[in-house]
Amino acid sequence: MRRGVREFVTVALPLLAALALAPLFYSNELLLFNFIMFLILAQGLNAIYGFTGYLPFGYVGFFGAGAYGFALAVMHLNASPLLAMACAGVAALVLGVVLTPLLRLSGAYFAIANLAAAQAVYQVISNPALQDVTKGPYGVTLSSVFAPALSYGVALIILAATLALIAWLRNARFGLALQAIREDPVSAAMAGVAVVRGRTIAWLLSALIAGLAGGVFAWHISVFYPETAFDLSFSIFAIVFTLFGGAATQLGPILGVLLLYGLYNVIGITVPQYFQLIYGVLIVLLVLFLPDGLASLATRRGFRVP
Amino acid sequence: MLRRVVVCLLAIACMAGARGAWAQQSRPADERLGGCFDGYLDKAQTEQASAPQPGQPGAPAEIRIGHLHASSGPYASISMPVYLGLKLWVEQMNAGGGAMVKPFGRKLPLRLISYDDQSNPGTAATLTNQLITQDKVDLLIADSGSVLTAVSVPIAREHKMFLFDPTGTGAAFFSKDNPYIALLADPVSTVWPRFLWEFLKSDVAAAGLTRVAILYSTNDFTGTQAASIRAALKAPGSPVQIVFDQGVPTSTSNYAVLIDNIAAANPDVVLELGYVGNDIAFLRNLQESGKNFRMVFTLYPGIETSTLLKNVGQSGLAGVFSYVTALAYSYPPEVGMTLEQFRGSWEKAYAKSGVEFGWNAIAGYVTGLVLGQTLACTDSLAQLDVRKSVFSLSGKLKTLIGTFELNEQGAQIGELTPIGQIAPEGKDGIHFTVVYPPAMASGKPIFGAK
Repeated sequence: MRRGVREFVTVALPLLAALALAPLFYSNELLLFNFIMFLILAQGLNAIYGFTGYLPFGYVGFFGAGAYGFALAVMHLNASPLLAMACAGVAALVLGVVLTPLLRLSGAYFAIANLAAAQAVYQVISNPALQDVTKGPYGVTLSSVFAPALSYGVALIILAATLALIAWLRNARFGLALQAIREDPVSAAMAGVAVVRGRTIAWLLSALIAGLAGGVFAWHISVFYPETAFDLSFSIFAIVFTLFGGAATQLGPILGVLLLYGLYNVIGITVPQYFQLIYGVLIVLLVLFLPDGLASLATRRGFRVP
Repeated sequence: MLRRVVVCLLAIACMAGARGAWAQQSRPADERLGGCFDGYLDKAQTEQASAPQPGQPGAPAEIRIGHLHASSGPYASISMPVYLGLKLWVEQMNAGGGAMVKPFGRKLPLRLISYDDQSNPGTAATLTNQLITQDKVDLLIADSGSVLTAVSVPIAREHKMFLFDPTGTGAAFFSKDNPYIALLADPVSTVWPRFLWEFLKSDVAAAGLTRVAILYSTNDFTGTQAASIRAALKAPGSPVQIVFDQGVPTSTSNYAVLIDNIAAANPDVVLELGYVGNDIAFLRNLQESGKNFRMVFTLYPGIETSTLLKNVGQSGLAGVFSYVTALAYSYPPEVGMTLEQFRGSWEKAYAKSGVEFGWNAIAGYVTGLVLGQTLACTDSLAQLDVRKSVFSLSGKLKTLIGTFELNEQGAQIGELTPIGQIAPEGKDGIHFTVVYPPAMASGKPIFGAK
């Protein structure tokens, strides 16, 4: 575990410090917040994909559930933002439990079933018949709890906890068991690893992280529609950032977010008309020639990537 | 292997939406623009405005206008015309030396900084922040439609930046505790259908058509309109009965079964409230079904007439009721171009852009007109002074879409569109007969024509 602590201190702490101080030097706080949010989502996806091999295309379902868990708690319970954040996590966990049977599938079948499940949740939330509960398709306004500075700080705390979790998973017995399951579940089971329990815990941890990210997103942005919270691009970005940097590492998804989301914003602001073209070509080239992500550049040469 | 396939597919999907840059052409400025409103300042005011204002800082080199648009994605069809209409206005103003800015007593060039949010609300939020905090724009304009406008509302408010809202009609944006927003070119959704429900409860009911079906797309724009109509038709003493009331996802593209369900309820009147794609699909399916209702109302034949005519055809539109916008009803403007002049300028500038001329193009241009009048009337570029200037135009500014009028929360309550009925004209064309309100009517409705 000492190595886990060392990895957290060397990788996560400088990043967290930089993000904490960044608003003092760069005033587009929402852009910084989005970096934090995608860092959380990429690491949350890393927890399930990197360590068990399950690629949840509908990961945004947990994010949206968290956002609406937060919103419902504020609207109907007059909950404080921190209590509402807890509700966001619980909402995503409940959804994770409901969707646990999906783990019986694997590969593309799991990805597609997960995506369908996320769409189903979206359709339920945006159903006009539930307007009195969820506001249906007409969106929610949470101006009473709008507090960008505080929500930025809470997002940083969630990111710190997520990075600590990944550092722990990489070095603890449980994380190694998950990686054994990813490589060969039958062999892992024969070696005494509790495959179902391991996958389920990783699944729920991943759902919890996305739910908390959704909750803090709802808090920070305060006015949104179902299509905003369940926007498939959240899933796509989290997957691409994780794959680009390198799954099952702490550093890989961080690099993926910083480089690709940074590029996304630079291109989007300077030459938006070419954004999709440049971004698409870049991703195709990188996946073709660097399929295991940037981290593989080091691991191929025998270096351990934290 | 799975990863490669999945990510390659994603990347290809990203590239599929790539678009080129839009052509830019300048047009001559309209000479009527540029003065402060209300007589565009009387002589004394003009002299006062021309003199350097005590306490005002030196004039900036340009006025920076921040704006968002969507060149791709589901909102591109409503966003791009607004963007191009606004750009046309900026180019016209700059060709004439810029816009008159009262605090500095002279014309200043305009610089439009418009970012592409690709119909993504998250990106729209980040770019709104970018415009405020990095580009430090003087005036801020939201993207089109309620979904993309919604994310800009709290950000603008937090930064105490006045938000010019071209077409985001969601009623929730406008509240007494938020002075930093005004809706410019569309009536707020709760008010927009007023003439429609008045028409249903008066002329239509008097003709014996009292059974109404409401089919609407579940988004903020049409959902709010449906709610307003429903409330009005259910009010005590209403002669009208709602026999069918259903919301469907905005992504609905086949209405065949829904039309059968509506027919089973035996309504006299069918109101279909959706976006452009919904209206096209509904009217096509209705034509194919062979079903007839005595009155059919949809939104977009009067809003994006060219697009509807191209996709539904003359016979599919004949007899349909719709809002009659400035595309078919002439409002003599006191500021800016007439419809014919604007259409001519648009065709010259954007004929090859692939963006159809329609109501949203006019909305973009009108947004520019309001900006111009605001700059001509404001005491300073401080945002509350900008607000005061915008509100001073209320009830006085008359453009090619009618009278600009705000309520105290900043919601647009003027620029209401009358109700009209479509009739064939020539071989392929159509024309609108305004049937309500009586003061604007040019003919009588013909029920049973659809």
